[in-house]
Amino acid sequence: MTRALYTAATGMMVQQQNVDNIANNLANATTVGYKRVRLEFQDLIYQNLRTPGASANSSTPLPVGLQIGLGARAISSERIFLQGDFHQTQGPLDLVIEGSGFFQVRLANGDLAYTRAGSFHLNAQGQVVTATGETVEPAITIPREATSITIGNDGTVSITVPGQANAQNVGQIQLATFVNPAGLESIGRNLFRETAASGQATLAAPGAQGNGTVNQGYVEGSNVNVVEELVNMISAQRVYETNSKVITAADRMLGTINQAVS
Amino acid sequence: MRIENERIAAMNIGLYTAYLGMRSRSRTLEVIANNIANASTTGFKAERLYYRSVEAAELERQRATLAAYEQARAAAVTEQPFEFGNFTRDEQAANRHLENDLRRALGVETGSFADQSQGPVRDTGKPLDVALLGDGYLVVQTPRGTRYTRAGSLTIDADGQLVTQRGELVVGEGGPITLRRGEPVIGEDGSVMVGGQNVGRLKIVSFKDPRTALTKEGDNLFAASGTEKPREAVSTRVVSGALETSNVNSIAEMAAMIQNSREFDSLQRSITLLMNDLRRASGEIGRL
Repeated sequence: MTRALYTAATGMMVQQQNVDNIANNLANATTVGYKRVRLEFQDLIYQNLRTPGASANSSTPLPVGLQIGLGARAISSERIFLQGDFHQTQGPLDLVIEGSGFFQVRLANGDLAYTRAGSFHLNAQGQVVTATGETVEPAITIPREATSITIGNDGTVSITVPGQANAQNVGQIQLATFVNPAGLESIGRNLFRETAASGQATLAAPGAQGNGTVNQGYVEGSNVNVVEELVNMISAQRVYETNSKVITAADRMLGTINQAVS
Repeated sequence: MRIENERIAAMNIGLYTAYLGMRSRSRTLEVIANNIANASTTGFKAERLYYRSVEAAELERQRATLAAYEQARAAAVTEQPFEFGNFTRDEQAANRHLENDLRRALGVETGSFADQSQGPVRDTGKPLDVALLGDGYLVVQTPRGTRYTRAGSLTIDADGQLVTQRGELVVGEGGPITLRRGEPVIGEDGSVMVGGQNVGRLKIVSFKDPRTALTKEGDNLFAASGTEKPREAVSTRVVSGALETSNVNSIAEMAAMIQNSREFDSLQRSITLLMNDLRRASGEIGRL
C-alpha cells in the first residue's frame, strides 16, 4: 500500500507538470512565432513479484508473471513545429515562413540563434533586427533614404530610393533548417539554440533545398490551439483528482490495518 | 473435543485466508494506482490481475499441518477430560456465516497481464506521430535488445534516424529508417515517405498471445518474455498524425478501487471476529 501511495504521488506529479506546461502554452497563445510544447509521459519500472514461467506450488508453471508498476513520469517536452496561422500586418519587415526553416539571428554575446517570429524592425544603424534587438544574420542594412522595402518569396530584399527608377538589392534573407527541429533548445524570447540533438543548421535561400518561402506583410501566429489546451487542462485536473483519491484509499486501508492491530 | 479442534483449525485457516485476501486487495490497489498514474501515458496498456481461489492443495496442506499440531497438542492433554460447548446458538450461526464470507474472500491474485484493448486515438497533426489500429507493436532497438512499444510519438535524432522520445532506434523492415530533409509522411501500411520518396517501412509485429508473450519494462516498452516469436502484423493499420492514448478507464478504475477498499474492510472485520473467537477459545482452554 505504501507502494500505492508513492505511485499515486508520481501520477499527481505528472499531472502537475502537465498543467504547468498547458499554462505556458496558453500564456503564449498570442505570441508571434510560438510553437506549442507537448509533454510525453512514460510508465516507470515494474517490480516483478513473480516472473512468468516460474513454478507454482502445485508444480504447474504459471502462464503469466505478476508485475506491479511504480507510476509514471514525464519523459520529454517536445516542441510541435506545426505551422501557425498567418496574420496580416502590412508591415514591410513582417515576414512569415511558409514551410520549414528558421530565421537566423545573432545574439548580443555573438552566438547564433534561430526563430520563427518574423516581425523585424530597424535599429539605429538601419540594420534589420528582431523585436528584442538581435540582428538578422547575414546582416541586412536598409539605407535611411529608402522609401519602400520589398522582400521577395525567395528572401531577396530590395528597396526603392527617391530619384531612382530601379529597385536596389540590399541583401538576402537566409533560412536555417535542421535535421531534427524538435531537438532545438528554447532559450525564451521566441529563440532557439542549436544542440547535438537538432544537428547543425544548414543555410539556404527561402524556397531552395526544400525550405519554406517567405511572405512579406504577415506574421506567423502561435500554433497553440486554445480549445485543445483547455480540454487537456480539464482532463489533467480530473486525472490529478483521481490520483489523489488513490492516496485517500491507500490511507484508509492503512488505517484499517491499524484498527485490526488494536 | 475433536470437533472443537477442527473449529480452531478452521479459525486459523480463516485467519490465513483473510490475510491472503487483504494482501491481495493491497496489491490490487497498487495496480490500480499505477493504472491511474498512467492515465495520460501514450500507448499505455492497463495492468490487470488474474484472481484465483487459493488452491485446494494449499488449503489441504494448511489443514493437515494444523491438524497434526492439534493432534500433538491434544495428545499432551488427552488424560484430562474437558468439555467446550459453551458457544451459544447465535455464535455458531455467526461462525457459519463468517466461513461463507471467507470462502468468497479466498480469491488471491496469481498473475498480471496488460489489457491489450485499443486505447482511444487522439488527433495531433504531427506527421511523425503514429497510432496503431490493431494488435501490432512497433519494434525498437534498445541497448538491452529488441523491445516493443505502442507509443508512436516518434521523432528524429541528429543523424536523421527515426527514434522514440527516449532515442531508441525504430526498426524498419530494412533496418533503421533515415529521414532526409523535408516533410515526412507515414502511410497506412507504415511506409515512410519524404518528398514523395520511400525511405523505409516501419516494422510492425504482433503476438499470438500478448498476455503471456510480453512483459512490461517501463518507459512504454514491452519485452518478449516467452518463447513465442513475433510475427508480422497483417491486420494493423498505421494512422499518422495521431497518437494512441492510454487505455486506462479512470471511471472503471475508481469503481474497482471503491469495491477493493470495501472488500478490504470486510476482511479486516472478519479477522477481528475470528480473533475474538480464538481469544475466547484459548480462554476456555486456559481455564482447564
